[in-house]
Amino acid sequence: MEDAAIVQLYWDRDQEAITASDRKYGALCRTLSRNILSSREDAEECVNDTWHRAWDTMPPQRPASLGAYLCRIVRNLSLDRWRARRAEKRGAGAEALVLELEDCVPAAPSAEAAWEARETAAAVERWLDGLAPEDRWLFLRRYWYGERVDALARQLSATPNGTAQRLRRLRASLRRALEQEGVRL
Amino acid sequence: MSEKSERLLEALSELNDSTIDAAAEEPPAKGKVRWKRWAALAACLAVVVTGGGLLLTQLGGSGSGSGGHDGASTFMSYAGPVFPLTLAEENDGITAAREITLDFSPWVPEWLSNEEMVSGRTWLTEEEQRDVLEQYDEWYPEGGRWQTSSDILVTDSYTLTNSSGKDQTVTVLYPFASSLSGLAQRTPALTLDGAGLETDLYIGAYSGGFEGAWGGSLSGENEGSVNLDYAESWEDYKALLAGGTYLQNALGEGPDVSGIPVTVYRFTDPYGPEADDDAGVPNPTLRVGFDLDYDETTVLGWGFHMGSYDRENGTMIQGFSIPQPGERGYGEEVYYLVVVGEDVQNMTIGGYVTGGADPDTEPLEGCGVTVERYESDLDTALREILEPYWAERIWEDEYGPTEAPVDFETYYRAFLEYLYAYGMLAPEAMERYGSGWLEGIAGDVWSVDRVCWVSAQVTIPAGGSVTLTASMAKEGSYDFYCAHTENQGVYGYDLVTTLGSTLACTAQTAVLADRGQIEIVRQNFGFDLEAGIKTVTLDPETEYYYLEVRRAEGTIPDGPPQG
Repeated sequence: MEDAAIVQLYWDRDQEAITASDRKYGALCRTLSRNILSSREDAEECVNDTWHRAWDTMPPQRPASLGAYLCRIVRNLSLDRWRARRAEKRGAGAEALVLELEDCVPAAPSAEAAWEARETAAAVERWLDGLAPEDRWLFLRRYWYGERVDALARQLSATPNGTAQRLRRLRASLRRALEQEGVRL
Repeated sequence: MSEKSERLLEALSELNDSTIDAAAEEPPAKGKVRWKRWAALAACLAVVVTGGGLLLTQLGGSGSGSGGHDGASTFMSYAGPVFPLTLAEENDGITAAREITLDFSPWVPEWLSNEEMVSGRTWLTEEEQRDVLEQYDEWYPEGGRWQTSSDILVTDSYTLTNSSGKDQTVTVLYPFASSLSGLAQRTPALTLDGAGLETDLYIGAYSGGFEGAWGGSLSGENEGSVNLDYAESWEDYKALLAGGTYLQNALGEGPDVSGIPVTVYRFTDPYGPEADDDAGVPNPTLRVGFDLDYDETTVLGWGFHMGSYDRENGTMIQGFSIPQPGERGYGEEVYYLVVVGEDVQNMTIGGYVTGGADPDTEPLEGCGVTVERYESDLDTALREILEPYWAERIWEDEYGPTEAPVDFETYYRAFLEYLYAYGMLAPEAMERYGSGWLEGIAGDVWSVDRVCWVSAQVTIPAGGSVTLTASMAKEGSYDFYCAHTENQGVYGYDLVTTLGSTLACTAQTAVLADRGQIEIVRQNFGFDLEAGIKTVTLDPETEYYYLEVRRAEGTIPDGPPQG
């Protein structure tokens, strides 16, 4: 089913909207959530919460890209849950992502006002624009979708070690770009 | 772990829908590699061949900072200057008058319809062409787009005068900056009095250096040498060409490694259970472990991509993922360990459920590989590895398949020089190549910048003159993501008047053919578009000229062309 038709189902308050969303984007959302939470059960709950959140927000929202909209919801919910779980000292999968992104934190005085997430994302977007398509894809699959390095390597017909090294270079490059843009996190 | 990195992870949620959607798709097809270029240049090295041996010469870097060269910008991607013509041997009887034209005609917008974009891609099937056209129609609903280039056409013309009483035949060398991969686009064409000249090509060594992961941004830390650090200003090229050693190396013979004995381990037909996440086998892997004396042995790998190096205990582990059905290299890949020096001892091979060299990783039953051990020499072993790599390489540019821009022997020579300058056979290997895996070098040799020369024999009659012209498309220098807001959309083009040249120039003139496309941002030529000054005489005392421009407003039409 076309995205526009699924969105219309939400607007029509037709519960088929959730079935259609799950059919089209369920696997992607579950994988994304599982990558962040390292837990099948928690991921399942996050995905269910995503459908509810989508139901509550459409209308008034009419997203141009339903996939990105749903993925963004499930990612944020998963990060929230990961944070809550970490507070209970249970550990989680996003820890690896956060640790790796430590490499990207620009060296800047912490006294400066923190940038809004939206402005930071805009700076990242500009940096992504300058990358080769494959590098852009790789960075996003790792740090947006939280995919494992060896799985990414397989998709790129590359080696896990080489892919990790490539990600390391990308992180160094992002850090540099953020510094040059004056981003304060 | 800090709150900052967590905030960054969260901020990524705000990326555009299109960015997120695009990454949800399959990986994009491999395109042209675009290297990022970094700041401050480290010392650079050149290989010098002396009587068949190899000598490393420290040429030194300029260490120039931004704005450190006469007011010109330090661009993040520096294309290198236009160099002057030189003679292979100094000749007092020959003088030259130089006129260089910087022509912005590639900046003139050209309408490219969706159909034209597709029809040029003759290697696609009809069905694929229809799909691509559909995609273009979606992207460019007006039926096409205005295409422009940031290259300029450079015509560097020399009137060579022979003031001696006899005809003189000289070897001219015209230098230019390029990578091996860029040669097809960047190699100048030489003409003599309008007729094309047959030329030879000479390839210089890598013109940059290496830097640490942070590009010098962290003070007090070990700089490291994991990243390429390209030349960033004309002064870096000045340091490179100083003394003539770099050119002499390019004109000389390449390294001969046929006398270096090696022991080769060749691994073929690896097998094992298929990858199965649910069964706890995400990445079936083979590990090859052995003992060695790191002071006496260097191990070069091909196809391997995980390694563990324990110098203290004299052990090394190398590994690779067992190709899965449908993956590149399945059933075909050949893996090598080339041992230079004393042979390794006590080799063991085992399967594991995933990669890395973690001792806790679970072994995997049912894995194996065919191993062949033989003695050879380094030249034979490297050719055995690199010739198939070369043969399988697909040459293409943005318009489709192309011919290889250099032959294998030229590439192989550049590979050997690089291996001995920066790889594991260098007196001090760069961290970038510390694993010993040769693929890293094989790829970098292809893409790193160099100074190259086209060469031809030219006869100048006694008391007469000839006009030698070098024509080429010259890439602009630019910033990637706007480190300096004032350089948004700015492109730089520069030239040197005397660097690396033994030719005595009696006069140098520069001509700007702006084609109404540009506004000048910075320069030291003395052009004045408003006053119509587009031809200037260059001062022989000024070594370096630069021109920084941006596209003039209103030069790209709003809609498609009428009719």
